[in-house]
Amino acid sequence: MDFEELKELIKKDLEQIKNSTELKEFSNTYLGKKGKIRTLFSELKDISIDQRKILGQEINEFSNLIQDQTEKLEQTLREQEREWKQKQNKIDLDLPGEKIEIGHLHPLTIVRQEIEQIFELMGFAIVEGPEIEDEWHNFDSLNIPKGHPARDALSLGKTLYLETGEVLRSQTSSAQTRYMQKIKPPIRIVIPGRVYRYEKTDASHEINFYQIEGLMVDKNVSVANLKAVLQRFLKEFFKRDVKIRLRPSYFPFTEPSFEIDMRCAVCEGKGCPACKKIGWVEILGAGIVHPNVIKNGGLDPNKYKGFAFGMSIDRLTMMKYKINDIRWFHSANLKFLKQF
Amino acid sequence: MNVSYNWIKTFFDKPLPQPKELAEILTMHSFENESLEKKGQDYILGIDVLPDRAGDCLSHIGVAKECAAILDNKILIPKINLKENKKLKTKDFVSVEVKDKIGCKRYIARVLTNVKITESPKWIKERLIACGLNPINNVVDITNYVMLEMGQPLHAFDYEKIQDQKIIVRKAKKGEKITTLSGLEYKLDEDILVIADSKNPLALAGIKGGQKSEINSKTKTIVLESANFNAKLISQTARKINLRTDASIRFEQNLDPNLAELAINRVAMLINEIVGADVASGLVDFYPNKLKPKKITLNLDNLNNILGLTIPLKEIENILKRLDIKLIKKTKNSLLLEIPTSRQDIIIPENLIEEIGRIYGYEKIQPELPCGYLAPVEKNKDIFWQNKAKNILKQLNYNEVYDYSFVDEDLLKLNGIAFNTLRKVKNPVSSEFAYLRNGLMPQLLRDAKENLKTFKDFKIFELDKIFIPQKNKTLETRMLAGIIATSEEKAQIIFSKIRGELNLLINNLGIEKVSYEKGILETTWDKQNSLIIKIKGQPIGVFGQINFNILEKFNINERIFGFEIDFEKLQSLSSEKKEFESISFHPPATRDISGLVLKTIAIDAIIEEIYKIDIHLIKSAEPFDIYQGSGIPENQKSVSFHIVYQSDEKTLDTKTIDMLQKQILEKLEEKFNWQIRN
Repeated sequence: MDFEELKELIKKDLEQIKNSTELKEFSNTYLGKKGKIRTLFSELKDISIDQRKILGQEINEFSNLIQDQTEKLEQTLREQEREWKQKQNKIDLDLPGEKIEIGHLHPLTIVRQEIEQIFELMGFAIVEGPEIEDEWHNFDSLNIPKGHPARDALSLGKTLYLETGEVLRSQTSSAQTRYMQKIKPPIRIVIPGRVYRYEKTDASHEINFYQIEGLMVDKNVSVANLKAVLQRFLKEFFKRDVKIRLRPSYFPFTEPSFEIDMRCAVCEGKGCPACKKIGWVEILGAGIVHPNVIKNGGLDPNKYKGFAFGMSIDRLTMMKYKINDIRWFHSANLKFLKQF
Repeated sequence: MNVSYNWIKTFFDKPLPQPKELAEILTMHSFENESLEKKGQDYILGIDVLPDRAGDCLSHIGVAKECAAILDNKILIPKINLKENKKLKTKDFVSVEVKDKIGCKRYIARVLTNVKITESPKWIKERLIACGLNPINNVVDITNYVMLEMGQPLHAFDYEKIQDQKIIVRKAKKGEKITTLSGLEYKLDEDILVIADSKNPLALAGIKGGQKSEINSKTKTIVLESANFNAKLISQTARKINLRTDASIRFEQNLDPNLAELAINRVAMLINEIVGADVASGLVDFYPNKLKPKKITLNLDNLNNILGLTIPLKEIENILKRLDIKLIKKTKNSLLLEIPTSRQDIIIPENLIEEIGRIYGYEKIQPELPCGYLAPVEKNKDIFWQNKAKNILKQLNYNEVYDYSFVDEDLLKLNGIAFNTLRKVKNPVSSEFAYLRNGLMPQLLRDAKENLKTFKDFKIFELDKIFIPQKNKTLETRMLAGIIATSEEKAQIIFSKIRGELNLLINNLGIEKVSYEKGILETTWDKQNSLIIKIKGQPIGVFGQINFNILEKFNINERIFGFEIDFEKLQSLSSEKKEFESISFHPPATRDISGLVLKTIAIDAIIEEIYKIDIHLIKSAEPFDIYQGSGIPENQKSVSFHIVYQSDEKTLDTKTIDMLQKQILEKLEEKFNWQIRN
């Protein structure tokens, strides 16, 4: 094929290009190192150097021209195609998003994780105790001797017993002495877990619910420390400054014992239905570990002091999410669970 | 206890704070105030006296003493001026024999004659009513009045009705019965302490009087009783016969036996003044071991260290004085103190620290974060793996549920679970909470059924404890179980999806390989459509379709899938270790193979064989287009794989790939009778 023929062919082909695929094919065929134009040039062996120069220049000019034209064409085609794509794939901006679902952790799990995290950051290790206890750990070790009303199955004690004589722990405190015996002071632990009560269920009572127990044992542990740790915890948990107050209380396993109230978040202490017009909400029980309990944990009560506290995870969860009935937690109702 | 504000006021010369303010002060220093109600000219404070203070504070004087200590006010206690009739002697009327000296610490009797039973005067009735008691007659009302005033329960017998004029304190005999003043009959036994005459029980000691010796309009002579019983015994009896009375709640805690004498004289004085009866002189008093005040040494450093503040010594002394606690000796850093017998709750120095702390005011203690060692907290692995597994399932669109630790009998029956495989609760609240669960599936199935009323597609799981009976113990262990309800109709699609989810879960717990095996035995599962999950050859759980028999019993018409995994086993195999695998930059080559094998051959087994050919060069073998049905022989399935070859060192040439491909096909033919299909 001579140059003129090739020129004609190229012009014809160029005119027929309809899309970028064809253009790419065209470029591959004629342009580039292996393209037909180059090949033609390399075939110019049998002619004189002068002719070769002239013809070479001509081929070069033609090649540049075609190159220019293809580039322009490419741009035109790309614009056309872009326009077409845009028209073809029109997006309706007003349609709603597709419903994508992810699972939900139980609110008690979420809150428990949050509580654990705060205490871990304050240097408290998380430990667990058995839910099925022996009487010694659940009662005797906590200064609740045989015959004490708290040990009763019915009336006051609300304790659930198994046919083996084992006890379904009535408070997470039952793990206190287990850890005093296991780890040496300084002890800083929190014990989350499920506890059991002989209780007819209603909006605020459950037969099993969740508690978290805190225990710190060291040479010098004071009420001032207890106050600070709990205040910081509540501040982190409720994500605001909280005011707390200590009231006298009684637990066999702590002395002195306290009930700890938090300033009502709803009314800021003015008194409202949420706090039964008191301005304060009871949030946990606490105290300085009774010397007998320290002794039962295998430590010398003259040397070691401790504070302990226990609070209901259910209650904190209900406060956090404003849940009005404790029975929702064990309802397994997805309309409830999917809210968290 | 219901406390009358006006009554409390009578014990003070100085004005008291307003009722609301007083209630608040008591809440912060003594006992929680639970209610405040205006009744006529009076206010009634509902005060929740703490159990260890029931011995001295279930009375108006007790509460007034608390107010006095907190407010540093002087308290005025009514004087007892008893006019006895010297011609009459109590001991000539009645004798007392205490047979149970452990059960009864003190027993005082006093006789009054010429008693005229009428209504009480208005002021007594008003105070009783204000405190929630019903007026009965003058004598009974006065004993109740003194109980509310001083805290000592008292009883009055009709003298004429006491057989042989003998009062005997003894344990009941088996078979004895008593009808109480409220008309209820109780069968007695040898654990119950009674007040008897020579023949019959007259009263349940410390709990309630009996009808036999009841005072009525004909009564002329009365015997007053003021006693002190063993607190534990009264507490146990009251709970045993399920009768808690105003008397028993006071005796249940350590009431001061020295109070008995003051109280009986106070009653006699009031009856004499109000009714005009004759008070026989002297007491019949059984009191072998007089209770004396205890002495306790309080270390002041301990006091300040435990409270976390420094209270000036003068202030400490002042508070102790206000609490009637006598300072006997003072050394450099300790105080020797004498505790009044009314405060039997004070036994150890810590009790005194509480007393001083609460009167001084806990609000004065400034919060102070503990300081000292800084050591990292040890991670709790159990909680870590639980949280991890829960989070993975959450991402897979599973919702976490909590069920009770208890299962009810009906649910067990539905699941065909034998009761003897479960641990029974000795004192269940109801049959709904009679057994401890030994699996999670029954409750999850019920949860599924409930949710199917509203939802078609959902996945739920629970990760919690189950309880397995052993000889004399009960083992607790953690299980993970889930339920999948879906509107997808093709079982295969659901099944494969769950299997993929389980793979993902297990892989993300740091376990590379999971395998599955047929041969499930548990009746919960549809044997044909369920598999055993295995890690390192160990079975850790099952998954698949729930047996239709069980679904029918639950009235579930939908196809339900589930899984149940021994979480403790799974956790023990989990690992946090991870190592980078180098990524090849040489081009991969993909080849497909297709063939026919028996239906029963597991795809996982084929994949395993493929990898065995060359674990380094065969990067992946992904099944696709698995098909059985028309065009395929009855007992066979058609299977295809994408096989990716890649070397870490060089670009693989066709020859190597062809050779590997050939080896694979030969191996599959040998192992699975693989027939190439085009």
